[in-house]
Amino acid sequence: MGPRRLSKVLIANRGEIAVRVIRTCREMDIATVAVYSDADRGSFHVRNADQAVYIGPSPSRQSYLDIERIVEAARAVGADAIHPGYGFLSEKAEFARALERAGITFIGPRPESMEAMGVKTTARRHMADAGVPTVPGSPAPIAEESEARALADRIGYPVMIKAAAGGGGKGMKRCDAPAEFARLWQSARREAGSAFGDDRLYLEKFLDQPRHVEVQVFADEHGACIWIGERECSVQRRQQKVIEESPSCILDARMREAMGEVAVRAARAVGYRGAGTVEFLVDSQRNFYFLEMNTRLQVEHPVTEMITGLDLVRMQIEVAQGERIPAQEQVVRRGHAIEARVYAEDPARGFMPSPGKITYLRVPAGPGVRDDSGVYSGWVVPQYYDPLLSKLVAWAPTRDQAIARLLRALGEYTVHGITTNLDYLAAALRHPAFRSGEYDTGFCARYAADLLSRPDPALEDVALIAAALSAHKRDTEEAEEFAARAGGAAASRSRWLRLGRARVLRGGLPP
Amino acid sequence: VTAPVSYVALLDAGTRERTVRVSPLGPGIFEVRIGDQVHRVDAYRHDHGTLSLLVDGASYSATLDERGSKVHVRLEGSVFPVEILDEKKLRLRRAAGRFTVEGKQTVTAPMPGKVVKVLAAVGAQVKEGQGLVVIEAMKMENELKSPKDGRVVELHVREGQTVEGNAKLCAVE
Repeated sequence: MGPRRLSKVLIANRGEIAVRVIRTCREMDIATVAVYSDADRGSFHVRNADQAVYIGPSPSRQSYLDIERIVEAARAVGADAIHPGYGFLSEKAEFARALERAGITFIGPRPESMEAMGVKTTARRHMADAGVPTVPGSPAPIAEESEARALADRIGYPVMIKAAAGGGGKGMKRCDAPAEFARLWQSARREAGSAFGDDRLYLEKFLDQPRHVEVQVFADEHGACIWIGERECSVQRRQQKVIEESPSCILDARMREAMGEVAVRAARAVGYRGAGTVEFLVDSQRNFYFLEMNTRLQVEHPVTEMITGLDLVRMQIEVAQGERIPAQEQVVRRGHAIEARVYAEDPARGFMPSPGKITYLRVPAGPGVRDDSGVYSGWVVPQYYDPLLSKLVAWAPTRDQAIARLLRALGEYTVHGITTNLDYLAAALRHPAFRSGEYDTGFCARYAADLLSRPDPALEDVALIAAALSAHKRDTEEAEEFAARAGGAAASRSRWLRLGRARVLRGGLPP
Repeated sequence: VTAPVSYVALLDAGTRERTVRVSPLGPGIFEVRIGDQVHRVDAYRHDHGTLSLLVDGASYSATLDERGSKVHVRLEGSVFPVEILDEKKLRLRRAAGRFTVEGKQTVTAPMPGKVVKVLAAVGAQVKEGQGLVVIEAMKMENELKSPKDGRVVELHVREGQTVEGNAKLCAVE
């Protein structure tokens, strides 16, 4: 153990990722501090941490995005480090700088690396300089809609409108025709402003049917930088990932090696430290282009953990303590892992978020299954934040077995009270195009109709039996209660009620 | 053992009806008649919302998710949104009339959120599927569309306003 051993970590995040980080800290015997907004007092991560600090009103701008309040919270509890999770402040260089000034360790890269990669247009320039191939588009953010429109006309539709400060699909719009440009541009600007506090946008050519493949990299402060494996993230709805897997079906050993080396080159070009992800688009000819580098832990990092057995959060903390990362040849990948993101949303209504109270929750278990969740039964999913409830991951020796296992686990997942995408995820995994491995980022749009599952008519009678017996039980109980109140003691000794109680004890329905 | 009870199940958003007759035979044992099919059912209640059913000997695990007047029954990856009515409720429902897009249609917020854009003014002619109001919730924008061709006759919200789920946004006639 080095002299820089961390003893108390504040997690500047919420939901499942805060819970995820707390788990590793607990295993490392590091004290944890949660932060929470008004909407999150009852949140799972608050209950799980050793300490919790209130940081403001529900809108994230006034709480999870408020650098001053978070630094102040860390000072107040004597935290020696902050883990930013993903989203929120995780890729804000000014946050890392504020921590530097406050003498608190930021569990992440240096602010200079974040700046070099954080503004997507700057990142593209850096990569081009390092000889990493990039997608055609604007070299800098574009201020005027008219200027952007002129560039779109030049590079040709469809184009992607993207937030310069962006990531995670927020403030990102695909525009197919000039007629839609104004509406999408303005919508992207508003989304970017509210999600990142920075509404600068830029354009990129939309590649036809590309696949999204990303490479996990890790670097320490002693000059070592390794790649840990790829993740295929082409199943996306509204430009957000829903299913991720590793290994990717289109990479052979040579291409994997080549992409890994390019990813390491990209990380080294910006003096990287800690966990990072280099995202690529792969076209139908298997050419790959640099898309962006996410200078933080990725939502889908468990996929990589499952196939390598590594704990990436532990490695982040070790790097922050000045320790060394393993050598490239020590990283061994084994089997196949797939992650499905469980969202509070309704796929039948354009993936509309469905905040509300979870009246009942039962999560899957069994061999090779991992559920990284941030919710519990009775929790009200707030409207203010991302609707991600949980990430369900399955590992198995082969891809087919991993698909079967994840389907089995999704079948065990029960969430009542709010609408989720559980059936949508299962339909995607069952789809022949996914099974064959021949899919790209157009998958969700192309098969939209197939992925909205319809109930199996053969089961309708049984469903009606269940619904009718449940109504019957409720009606019988109501009648009993009414009789008991109306008839007093006499009714409570009735044969009806005695029989009913006997049934309750057995666990069965009362007659 | 109590008398048989008949229920009407409304399926496919209320467009289809089936009658289910429940006759208790003994503790947890029922005869259930749906159309001309008669099933012998042994029902055992597990934890919240979970029901183990032995229907003519076949074993099913059903989970029931109560959503207001509806219940979502999940069985082996199929979900059936059903509304179960007894005779009294059915009579009330019939008196209230049928669902239609004739006349004035009110557009409500499907979830709590913030109005970021109002796309049509009172008096505007709109087409079915045309966007009326954009609501932001959970960091994503959602455009609410007109349910029919017509004219905007009411507008209840302005840009920047926060709305509750089910709040009236506007009406099209």
